[in-house]
Amino acid sequence: MAETALKMRGIVKTYGGVPVLKEVDFTVERGTIHALLGENGAGKTTLMNILGGVTPMDRGRVELFGEKVRITSTQDARQHGIAFIHQELNVINDLAVYENMFLGNELHGRFKVLDRKRMCEACSRVFQQMNVDIDPRAMMGSLETSYKQIVEIAKSLLRNARLIIMDEPTTSLTQREIDRVFAIMKGLTREQKVTIIFISHKLGEVVDFCDSFTVLRNGEKVASGLIKQEDGSKISQVEIAKMMVGRDVLGVEVYEPRPIGEPLLEVENLSVKGYARNVSFTLHSGEILGITGLLGDGKEELARCLFGDLPRSGGSVKLEGRPIEARHPSDARKMGIGMLPSNRKENAIIKDLSVRANTTIVALDRYQHGIKLSLAEEARAAESARQRLSIKADKLTSLITSLSGGNQQKVVLAKWLDAEPKVMILSNPTQGVDVGAKNEIYAEIMKLAKQGIGIIITSGEAQEIVKTCDRALVMYHGELRGELTRDEMSDEAIMILCTGGTLAG
Amino acid sequence: MQTKRTPKGNRDLLRKFMDGYSIILVTLVMIVASMLLQGLLKDSWSFLTWNNIINILRNNSITGVIALGMAFVIITGNIDLSAGAQMVAVSAMSITVINWLAERMAGASPAMASLIPTILGVLTAFACSIALSVLTGIIVTKGRVPSFIVTMGMQLIYRSVLVYALNGGGVTTKVPGYLALSSTSIPLGFGELPLQILYFFIMVAVYWYISKYTSIGRRIYAVGSNEKATRLSGIKTDRIKIMAYALLGVAIAVAGVMESSRMGSINSTSSGTNYELNAIAMAVIGGVAMEGGRGRIVNTMFGAFIFGMISNILTLLGLPTKLVNAVKGAIIILAVLIQRKDKDR
Repeated sequence: MAETALKMRGIVKTYGGVPVLKEVDFTVERGTIHALLGENGAGKTTLMNILGGVTPMDRGRVELFGEKVRITSTQDARQHGIAFIHQELNVINDLAVYENMFLGNELHGRFKVLDRKRMCEACSRVFQQMNVDIDPRAMMGSLETSYKQIVEIAKSLLRNARLIIMDEPTTSLTQREIDRVFAIMKGLTREQKVTIIFISHKLGEVVDFCDSFTVLRNGEKVASGLIKQEDGSKISQVEIAKMMVGRDVLGVEVYEPRPIGEPLLEVENLSVKGYARNVSFTLHSGEILGITGLLGDGKEELARCLFGDLPRSGGSVKLEGRPIEARHPSDARKMGIGMLPSNRKENAIIKDLSVRANTTIVALDRYQHGIKLSLAEEARAAESARQRLSIKADKLTSLITSLSGGNQQKVVLAKWLDAEPKVMILSNPTQGVDVGAKNEIYAEIMKLAKQGIGIIITSGEAQEIVKTCDRALVMYHGELRGELTRDEMSDEAIMILCTGGTLAG
Repeated sequence: MQTKRTPKGNRDLLRKFMDGYSIILVTLVMIVASMLLQGLLKDSWSFLTWNNIINILRNNSITGVIALGMAFVIITGNIDLSAGAQMVAVSAMSITVINWLAERMAGASPAMASLIPTILGVLTAFACSIALSVLTGIIVTKGRVPSFIVTMGMQLIYRSVLVYALNGGGVTTKVPGYLALSSTSIPLGFGELPLQILYFFIMVAVYWYISKYTSIGRRIYAVGSNEKATRLSGIKTDRIKIMAYALLGVAIAVAGVMESSRMGSINSTSSGTNYELNAIAMAVIGGVAMEGGRGRIVNTMFGAFIFGMISNILTLLGLPTKLVNAVKGAIIILAVLIQRKDKDR
C-alpha cells in the first residue's frame, strides 16, 4: 500500500554563509498526514519553501510520486500538484467563497462574462467530496475561521493538488474548529489519497491526528517515524519534544508555589457590550490568574476592557482599593496595568523599529531628559532586558522583525516590564512561540509573580493555564462558568466548563 | 562567498550605509554627471560654481522646508494636500497684520515701526499655521476621515476663501524689516550665503533632531509602522498624528514667511501652487514610504536637492525646459521603483 509521495534527498541550503539545511532527507508516504516538526529556526519553513518553489535549494534531489522533478517557481510547484497553505489565511473577506476559490483562474462563459453558475457548481462538488456544507455564494467574511481554512484546502483541491503543505494552520482556531479541520484532513487523506504535510508547534494535535512525523533540529533531520508505534501505543508528546530541542522540556515543571498577597485588582459585575456580562473576580498581588474559554466567549474582550482598549458597559474595577476606569490603553499604562496582546504581528510588533526601540516604546518618557531622548540609557535598558529574558539577537539595533517569533515575544514582554506594571495581562503569551522559548517565558511569568505583580493570563490552550496558573476562571458565552483552584485544574475540567458543562460533585 | 578580502565588519558597515543613505551617492553621481555633461557637451563648467549651487538651493528651499514637515506626516501614514494653499493663507494673514501694524505705528521711530510689525507678523504666521494644521489633524483622527480627502477639501477651502477675500489679487508689503528676512545674505569671502538657505538648513537640523532624539519623533515612526501595536503600547496615537500635522504647520509657517518676504507679496491665485506636490515628491525621492513608518529627514533633504537639480540641469544643458515636469515625474516613479527593489531583495 505504501507509495511514496515525496522524497527529498540531501537538501542543502545556506543563507549568507549560514547553513540552514544540512543534507536533509525527507520522505512522505502517499495518503498520510505527515507532521514536520522543529523549533523556530530549525529549517522547516525553508524546506517547505524549497518544495513550494519559493526559495531555490543549493543542492539536493526532489522526487514526487517516484519521478524526479525540478521546482524553480511557485507555478512549477502548482503544476506538480503541490499546494502551500500559509499560516496567515490568504482569503479576501469581501469576496464570495467561490470567487476566492477561483481567484485568478475564473471560468468564463460567452463574451468573456464570468460563469458564476459553473464556478459555484465546481465549488459545491469539492465541498461535497470533503463532506462539508459551505455555500459557495456566501461571503468569505461571514465564515468562521475554521471554515476559511477549509475553503483554502478546498481551493487547493480544486486545483488538483496531490500534496498539500499546511504551515501552522491551527494557531488561530479554537479546539472545536481544530477538530473540524482535522476531520476534513483525515477524510481527504483516507478517501482521496491526498498527502498532507503539516507544520505545527502544537504537539497535542500532532499526536492525535497525524500518521507520521519528521523532526528537524538546527537544519538536520534528527528523527522520523510513525506516530502509532509497533505495539499499538502512540508516541508521547514528551518524546517528540525531546527530539525537537534535544532535551526534556515538556516535562519541565514551570509552576512554583509562592505566597499570594493582598487583593490588587477587584473586578465587580464588569460588562463589555456584546462580549461579556457581569464578570466579577479579584486578582491578588503575586497571583497568576488564568481566564480561559473558547474563542469568542469573551475572555479576550474582557482583558481588552481592563486595559482600556474596549469601553466598559457596566460594573466597576478597583486597583489597590481605588476605583479606576481606563478609557484608553494610555490610561491603563499610567495606572500600572500592562498588556501583552495576542496576535503579535498585528498587535505588538512595531516592524520598522529596532529591537531597542521596541523595548523602550512603552516607558519612553523615562528616557527623555528635557526634550532629548537618551539613546545610551535606552541601549542599557534594552541590553539588560536581553540578558534578563535571554533574548537572542545579534544586535539590538537590528529590526525587531529579524528575530524569531519567540524572541520577538520576549521583546514584547520586555517592553511592558520596562514600565514596571502592578498588573500584567498576558493574552496567549506563547502564541507562535517554540517549545524552548515557551518555557523561558513561563519562567519569567513566575518570576514576576514572585515580585508581587498580579498576573492575568488569558489563553485558549487549557494546557497553558494548567501549567502556570494558581486559579482559573472559565468563560462560556460571555459569562463566568466556573472557577478552578490549582488542585481542581486539569485539561478535562477546563474543557468541560468551556463547552458549557458543569463539573460533577 | 567568504573569500572576499574586505574584512566582514567593513562590508557590513558599507552595506548598512548603502541601505540607509544610498541617496547621497545618487546625489553625488547626479552632480558629477551634470558637471561632466555640461562640460563635455557645452564646454562650460558653470554647474559646480558657487552661484549655481546657491541658485539651486534658494529656488528649492521653500518647498524643501515644507517637505521636511510633510515627511513627518507621511511617516505617520497620512498626507497633506493643502500645504501649498495653507502657506498662501498664512502668508496673507501675516502680511495683513504687518501692514496694519505698520500703518498704526507710522509715527514711531523707523526701526521700531519696522521691527515690531515684522515680529508680530511672523508670530501670526506661526500661530495661524499651527492652528490650521492641528485642525486638519483633528478632523483626520477624531473624524476618521482619510487625510487625502480632508486635505483635498482644505485646499479647496483655503484657495477659494483667499481668492474671494483678496478679490483674486494679492497683498503686498513694503515693511523693510520683513523684506530683510529674505533679502539678507551672509558674506562668506568667496561668495554670499542667503538667509533663505540658512533657514532651510536650520529646519533640517531641527527636524532631524526631532526625528532621532525626541520621544515624539520615535512615536511618529511607531504610529506609522503599526498603529494598533503603538496604541496597545499605551500611546495616544491620535495625539501623535496631530503632532505630526503641527510640525508640518510649523514648516508651512516658515515656508510662508520665506515666500512672502522674498517677494514682498503673496497672490491668492498664483502663489504656492503645487508646492504640496513638490514637497511630497521630495520626501518620496528621499525614501519616505507612502505607507508610513519609514523615512529619514536627512534623506528628504537630499531628495530636495535631487528634485531641485533637475530643472537646473535641463537649463544648463540647453534642453527644452518645458519638459522639466516630465523628467521630474519620471524621477519620482523611478525613485520609488528603486526603493521597492531594495526592499524586495
